[in-house]
Amino acid sequence: MKTMAELWGRGGKDFAVAQQSFLAGMTKATGGSPSFTIDAFNTQGLAQANEALSKLLSSALEISQTITGKMQAGGNREPAVEELLSKIFDPRAWFSGVDGIDQALQRMAEGPRLADLWDSERRMLTLFNAWTALRQRSLEHNTVLLEAWLSAAGKFAKDLNEKADRNETLGSWRDVLALWVDTANTALLETQRSEPFLKSQREVLRASADLRLAQQEMAAFYSEIFGYPTREELDDVHRSVTELRRELRALQRVNRGKKKKPRQQNSVAPSVHQHDPKRSAS
Amino acid sequence: MSSGTPNKINPEQAIAEAATLGEKIARGATLFSRLRDEDVAIATTPKDEVWRQDKVSLHHYRPLADQKIATPVLIVYGLIGRYTMADLQEDRSLVRNLLTLGVDLYVVDWGNPSRADRWLTLDDYIDGYLADCVAVIRDRHKIDKVTLLGICEGGVFTTCYAALHPETVKSMVLTITPIDFHADTVDNRLGHGFINIWTRSLAPEDIDRLIDAYGNLPGEFMGGVFSQMTPMRTLMKYNLDLLEVVDDEKKFLNFLRMEKWIADRPHHPGEAAKQWLKDLYQDNKLIEGTFTINGQKVDLGNITMPVLNVFARDDHIIPPATSQALGAKVGTKDYKELPLPGGHVGVFVGGKSQALLGSGIANWLAERS
Repeated sequence: MKTMAELWGRGGKDFAVAQQSFLAGMTKATGGSPSFTIDAFNTQGLAQANEALSKLLSSALEISQTITGKMQAGGNREPAVEELLSKIFDPRAWFSGVDGIDQALQRMAEGPRLADLWDSERRMLTLFNAWTALRQRSLEHNTVLLEAWLSAAGKFAKDLNEKADRNETLGSWRDVLALWVDTANTALLETQRSEPFLKSQREVLRASADLRLAQQEMAAFYSEIFGYPTREELDDVHRSVTELRRELRALQRVNRGKKKKPRQQNSVAPSVHQHDPKRSAS
Repeated sequence: MSSGTPNKINPEQAIAEAATLGEKIARGATLFSRLRDEDVAIATTPKDEVWRQDKVSLHHYRPLADQKIATPVLIVYGLIGRYTMADLQEDRSLVRNLLTLGVDLYVVDWGNPSRADRWLTLDDYIDGYLADCVAVIRDRHKIDKVTLLGICEGGVFTTCYAALHPETVKSMVLTITPIDFHADTVDNRLGHGFINIWTRSLAPEDIDRLIDAYGNLPGEFMGGVFSQMTPMRTLMKYNLDLLEVVDDEKKFLNFLRMEKWIADRPHHPGEAAKQWLKDLYQDNKLIEGTFTINGQKVDLGNITMPVLNVFARDDHIIPPATSQALGAKVGTKDYKELPLPGGHVGVFVGGKSQALLGSGIANWLAERS
């Protein structure tokens, strides 16, 4: 993971260097001057967040493997059970299963790929920074979750050790699992109410919206070049349609009121055909 | 973490469980290969579309028994999730239970709002579409008043409508409906009221920016919020929970139908979402008496018709206190609460609640028919 983090940081820097070379070439070719420099790429925060997460994750994975191994030690090793246990005790599951919001946001935000957009330099930078900011915020959020996992694992290990010291026999791996689920659930629920969790999730939400808006700005740039309607123009049209429909409904209501006659409360059930131009059983 | 003493697992039991697990998986794989989409169809109770405007449609259920309750009942679900939860499957259906007990039922379907519906407000839904649905039912039956049955956010819609137009509402049934959005702090139970806490942790500008960026409150986003509320359940769902039921056809189909409903999560129109999250969850305007619809203040004291307020004792999404707050605010003495066992969705689809919810509502309606 640490290697990955270093690779990631190096990749960001290499990308920045490549971009600068390209832009310098462009500047020379066009005789203009670049409006930004390599410093505009903000990858430092991302690298720091990666490093913090990777350290925590290494510790967590070590604990996870110890727990899984301990559960199977001494008895007959059943591959299916071993695989199931390793998945359930894997701290990375908390990133994919618990931070559903972040996943959803990232899926929604990461529509167009950077490669599609690389020739619009200034917007590209804004977009790239928004993208790295979202990655950084996600890593920070995952770090909060990992700390919660470590806390849960510590409590779980303590409980298991106490049982071992008392020479208690656990029924099976299901009993162990039940203990883990209970411990982990409490830890997660407590974490979700904590200020660090709420703050980091809020930051992910903000970063996701910023990335989406940066993408829309880029898309609008191209739309204008090629004569396509922009998101903003479409929103304006939709707003007009909504307002017109609102007025229409109000007029229909007024007309209905004019035609209305006094009624009596009764229980006459109408035929389904009575006001039914689009009758469709479902 | 080691204490030096190994944890002992009963080897015979562990081997027996492992063997059972293998057999379960094999039986489940066979069962899964036989399944077709219609096997997991939901909301199958026959009904007819009687009105449609824009994406909103009104449906009238076909009777399953002689009508015993004179006034028709309109089921109003919210914009988060879909009404199909009230008719999940034949033996877990509030709709079927009510029809069998002689209730004349309608349901409004809000359709699938898209980015084009971003500008729709709660005013449009409550004083526009819902008001039109009520008008259609009154016209069809030639009556002045209908009964409203609101579910969750739909309960807020019916509450606002009833407060604004009490002359058209015979009685109102609310189920799992938040009224005081800050009352999650009353019991402050761990794992309960996360949406309340989460929404209050955001700045109003965060919500505005989210809607500016996406145009609506994406369904998958809300799905993520709900998943967070039962964290380990979410993690275990597709391994342990599924393993528990995979070789039992009935339970497996129940599981899949529930998953089908969960996956069908429409987007919440943007402007309406801003009102929902900022005016109600953050500023708590409904209980404060400052919430407005089309410029009219929603005065809960105007709710003078009989009210039945159903809530789930273990509702982690809408904590009971947030629903019960209505009792002190309504302008009727005929206010009754019906607490039921179970959680937010369990009240509608749980085996135990099937005998309680439908009959509880039908009996209450019959007493006032």
